[in-house]
Amino acid sequence: MWRDIWWVAVHTLKNTFRKRSSLLVYVGLPIIGVIGSIMLYGSAGQQVLRVGIANEDGSAVIAADTAAYVSSLQHVKTTLLSREELKKKLASADLDSGLILEKGYSDSMAAGKPEGIAIQSVKGQTVTAYIKGMLNAYLDNTAAISRAAGGDRAAFDKLYADYRGGGFKLETQQVADTSLTKAMSVQSIGFLILFMMTAAVNLSEIILKSREDRTYYRILSSPISARSYVLANVLVNIAVMVVQVAVALVALRYVFGVDPGLPIVQLGGMLILFALVSVSLSLVIVAFSKNSAVSGAMSNFIITPSCLLAGCFFPISIMPDTIRKIGDFMPQRWVLQSIDELQTGDTSRISINLAVLAAFALVFFLVAAYKFGRNNDTKTFV
Amino acid sequence: MNVLEIQGLTKKFGNFVAVDNMTLNVKEGEIFGFLGSNGAGKSTTINMISSLLQPSAGEIRILGKDSRKHSRHAKTNLGIVPQDLAIYDDMTAYENVAFFAGLYGLRGKLLKERTEEALEFVGLGDRAKSRPSTFSGGMKRRLNIACAIAHKPSLIIMDEPTVGIDPQSRNYILESVKKLNESGCTVIYTSHYMEEVEEICSRVAIVDHGKIIADGTKEQLKAIITDVKDLSIELKPGSAYSLQSIGKIPGVRAVNEKEGRLSIQSDAAVDNLNRILKSLMDGGAEVKALQEEEPNLETVFLTLTGRSLRDQ
Repeated sequence: MWRDIWWVAVHTLKNTFRKRSSLLVYVGLPIIGVIGSIMLYGSAGQQVLRVGIANEDGSAVIAADTAAYVSSLQHVKTTLLSREELKKKLASADLDSGLILEKGYSDSMAAGKPEGIAIQSVKGQTVTAYIKGMLNAYLDNTAAISRAAGGDRAAFDKLYADYRGGGFKLETQQVADTSLTKAMSVQSIGFLILFMMTAAVNLSEIILKSREDRTYYRILSSPISARSYVLANVLVNIAVMVVQVAVALVALRYVFGVDPGLPIVQLGGMLILFALVSVSLSLVIVAFSKNSAVSGAMSNFIITPSCLLAGCFFPISIMPDTIRKIGDFMPQRWVLQSIDELQTGDTSRISINLAVLAAFALVFFLVAAYKFGRNNDTKTFV
Repeated sequence: MNVLEIQGLTKKFGNFVAVDNMTLNVKEGEIFGFLGSNGAGKSTTINMISSLLQPSAGEIRILGKDSRKHSRHAKTNLGIVPQDLAIYDDMTAYENVAFFAGLYGLRGKLLKERTEEALEFVGLGDRAKSRPSTFSGGMKRRLNIACAIAHKPSLIIMDEPTVGIDPQSRNYILESVKKLNESGCTVIYTSHYMEEVEEICSRVAIVDHGKIIADGTKEQLKAIITDVKDLSIELKPGSAYSLQSIGKIPGVRAVNEKEGRLSIQSDAAVDNLNRILKSLMDGGAEVKALQEEEPNLETVFLTLTGRSLRDQ
């Protein structure tokens, strides 16, 4: 029996990959998915803000210090220019935001009543929040000095000079932010899951297509049983899934250098378990389809929406509570959740998650086997 | 020795009885013609013999063994040439034959030899590396046959193997069937072309409504209809006559006209030739030739089922 299965499986593999397009579909698409998620997340967190500064307070020390302070901030590129130029460049989106230091700004700071400072932007709070936050820290310090001087300008100047000379400096240190790469790898896996499920249905559809071109009946009139034929197809399906997983993970980790935040072997093992779910679901779709057109429609109806609900395309955390609860009924959700938990080092629920995945696979296999068994007629199916 | 034995074979689809208590034996070395109109139960029977369908009742024995209990033995000894082409268009002719032969357990050198032999046998040896998409209909039919014979089965079932092909390919296939038979292979052959069955089959069974209504050699079947005679009358062009008045002559069962030739089926016991000729000449027709036709399988089929095989 296994000799027969092997013969059909090798034939199916050869026949499938005879077309170069199959290589692209089954191996290329998962890599494209990884590239897509990297591009999606690649720009996040590394954005440089272009800030224009219009200093109308001349050579006043505090105004000059404020401008220098903003220039020293990380991820900020400043340009000194006039108020008119600033407005034009903001309007033409050549700048993200503008800082205007009006005449008398330094004096107002020394008097403890900050005035004449404004931040402008046409892009709103998303670009001004960072500058505002950093500036507030600086202004609070200056205001504190002013309060300490008690309105005495000479005392303020002396305290401010000490403050400047006292080596006050803002030290920033880069803390490794792994959330981005973790999110990126989860989303890459999300796309990989979509491609795995689609590929599984495509490969199982070979059974339907062989029925349509009559080769199925010819094969069944040989010593091969229907069960062996379906098993050969399952074998091919799983082999392709394993290759897909391996290629996608190698690309993610070693080609694009994204650390998924958990050992690659654990991630691979989990995805291979999910491969069983994909294959069993594809068999259910094929068992309930009269022809390949119906199974194509059915897979579109099932795969993309379920991936969407399970959080394959964007984080589940941004979805409403009801959708999240529906997502729990999708097998994809349990893979993504397991990855999430392993990334945070929480392994307490992993065995439950894996058991749920295995249960999904088992139930789908049983449903498919039941349906195949009921179609025991050449005019219908196995 | 019987290669195939069918006992009380029945297949029901709900209340519809497709095959009704059929009993049939096919002897070793025969080319057995299986005739029947569409829906007569021919394909259902073939599907049961090839294990694609489970019988509702009855028994099929291939080379003496129950085909259900010894499914692998039965299938290994069978070669199926299905009516619908069952070949892969994106594989070469060689790959097609090798794949199907491999399903019967052939591997390695033997597989290569048998594949080449089968392709040579059907005249496709020089096209082994070509894909069927570049083949004519006749070549595809021949490839379909090659896929069924590479494992050298004892019994080959050919279901309408000459449908829709040119006369040359048809002759090639008929000659191939004869050669296969000469090499010791038993063949079950179904066709709508009565002249093919008449030419190559040594024994014929006629199936109607799921039952075998006649079974025997061609001569035995023709002998069934000794009560009928067939007249063929060729008339000069422009001859006038009345089919209706000929049809009313006592003993005449049916009258047909095609391209100036009248075919008249009449009771053999009634001597009505003079009356028929008189009726024609009274109408002003001129008889060019007259012949009493030997009964053929078409006549037998028509007489037994009341229908023409090709008109189904």
